[in-house]
Amino acid sequence: MSTSATLAPTIGAGGGVPAAEMSNIMSNLSADDSPTAVSRAQTGMPVNTAICRYFQRGLCRFGDMCRFSHDLNGGDVIHISGNEGDAIKPSTSSKSNARSEYLNSRPSTSRQNWINAPIFVPKSHRSKYPIEEVSDAYACEGAAGLGPINAEIQKSWADVVGGDNVAQRMNTVEGADAEAMLAMICPFEGPCPYGAFCAYGIHMELCKMCDQFCLHPSDQTQRRKHNQECLQQHEQAMEWSFAIARSKDKTCGICFDTIMEKAGREKRFGILPNCNHIFCLECIRKWRQAKQFEHKITRSCPECRVSSDFVCPSAFWVETKEEKDKLLSDYRLALGVKDCKYFKKGDGKCPFGNKCFYKHALPNGELVDVGCPKRARKLHRGSNDFIDLLDIYLWEFVEQRDYHWLDFLSGTSDDSDDSDFSED
Amino acid sequence: MANMAVSRIKREFKEVMRSEEIVQCSIKIELINDSWTELRGEIAGPPDTPYEGGKFILEIKVPETYPFNPPKVRFITKIWHPNISSVTGAICLDILKDNWAAAMTLRTVLLSLQALLAAAEPDDPQDAVVAYQYKDKYPLFLMTAKHWTNVYAGGPHKFTECDLKIQRLKDMGIDEHDARAVLSKENWDLEKATESLFS
Repeated sequence: MSTSATLAPTIGAGGGVPAAEMSNIMSNLSADDSPTAVSRAQTGMPVNTAICRYFQRGLCRFGDMCRFSHDLNGGDVIHISGNEGDAIKPSTSSKSNARSEYLNSRPSTSRQNWINAPIFVPKSHRSKYPIEEVSDAYACEGAAGLGPINAEIQKSWADVVGGDNVAQRMNTVEGADAEAMLAMICPFEGPCPYGAFCAYGIHMELCKMCDQFCLHPSDQTQRRKHNQECLQQHEQAMEWSFAIARSKDKTCGICFDTIMEKAGREKRFGILPNCNHIFCLECIRKWRQAKQFEHKITRSCPECRVSSDFVCPSAFWVETKEEKDKLLSDYRLALGVKDCKYFKKGDGKCPFGNKCFYKHALPNGELVDVGCPKRARKLHRGSNDFIDLLDIYLWEFVEQRDYHWLDFLSGTSDDSDDSDFSED
Repeated sequence: MANMAVSRIKREFKEVMRSEEIVQCSIKIELINDSWTELRGEIAGPPDTPYEGGKFILEIKVPETYPFNPPKVRFITKIWHPNISSVTGAICLDILKDNWAAAMTLRTVLLSLQALLAAAEPDDPQDAVVAYQYKDKYPLFLMTAKHWTNVYAGGPHKFTECDLKIQRLKDMGIDEHDARAVLSKENWDLEKATESLFS
């Protein structure tokens, strides 16, 4: 019984649930096979990977005990607070530090907070129980009732799962504590219709910059942080609109289309490092891959014939040297994060050696300097001119593989383009 | 025909129509069929050249891979020029071959051809006979080029001496153009021309 109490679902947490209903749930849970429950809690992962439908809607009465996944991100498991008492305990001054820490550790806009809130409280619950009853519930369940029991439970957990996990569990409890503080924030966007009767203790104030209710009334660090974020966002938005403004009427020197008016993936600029002529990525790539001309011709700008080693994809036109330098170095950095497909984490051999744009790292993450590439020279058209094939192929390698650099940066990576790589 | 080629040609067509050169009547372009693959260009002979006053018609064929490959251009109007075949009208110009660039347009091609008329490159000839004459007997080359411009492109310079010689060959039953070609080739030496015609 005690074990399942820890894992008791958080239905109505923050809003308050009548004790009768609580005990009902608990007794339901106690009927469960408790060793299984413990082992599940031990691993912290649900057995079934399918996402719980109830959790998706915001409410699963089984909490951590649920046989379905509560992992909406596919990444870390969202822990549902198992501590009824903590979840509904009103904020006390000793907790305010933990809360502000918690608030500072995540984006401070209320909308996000609301979505990430550990506990979903359906409207019906809040409206059903007036404030007096809720505070009653706090009194009996939270402060007096479950608090001490929790401590006891911690002990029994220690017996079952061993030292490491106890520490872990403690952390989770602390986290849950902070989350509980978060749960005190009224989720209403804008003035709360319940006014003074609202079950939530904290009502966020309006931020004039972002026009959202996301300023904590008393937490100065949060307010400062949010203002800073807002300012930053504003600056970003300005930069963004400037970028659009300078890019929007640019036409490609090859297809003559206005690049910003092209559809989807074709709406990208291909920036040549050594000159400032405008092309869309598709066109300049196609030109540079043309086999009917000498490399000297195709490697050079179709407008001014200045040779460039590679094409850098960009969502916007870069006007100034600083913008361009930043773009190019970002490009190199972005490529440098990806493993070289020739090096294969040490299993293969990269013909481009340390000139390669991609990462040469062993499976343990250790970077390897593979030294200078071998020179592959070819007699060029019977004359005595030697051309350095390596240079040519290296740039082709980069261009064909990283068609989707931009997607990669914006986090919507699309692997279908990896097949570009196999062309050569 | 590839989409890009058509849309680009359409745009270029408009570009030529709006260009200053069309106002000055130095270049012109017109459609031949509805598919935008074949066009007819026209360039005026540049001033201070033997081609001055002439209008030269060009055949322009746009490949499907345009603009990644150059358009195929050839002179329809007969012309006496070291870099243009006096027989087929084929042009020897690097940008129409391996020095093409995708950013070039019909307008730049036509202007380049005009520049080629103004500045021949006898060391990289298309028509070896013309190039030889250009290098060795420049005054004769000038006369021949002007004569051809007059006859085929509506140029102002008439050379009665040339016309007389051609008439002589025509009297022998030779086609007028063949007669002119042979005489031009033989530096207007009637005897040599006759010899080469009947040998």
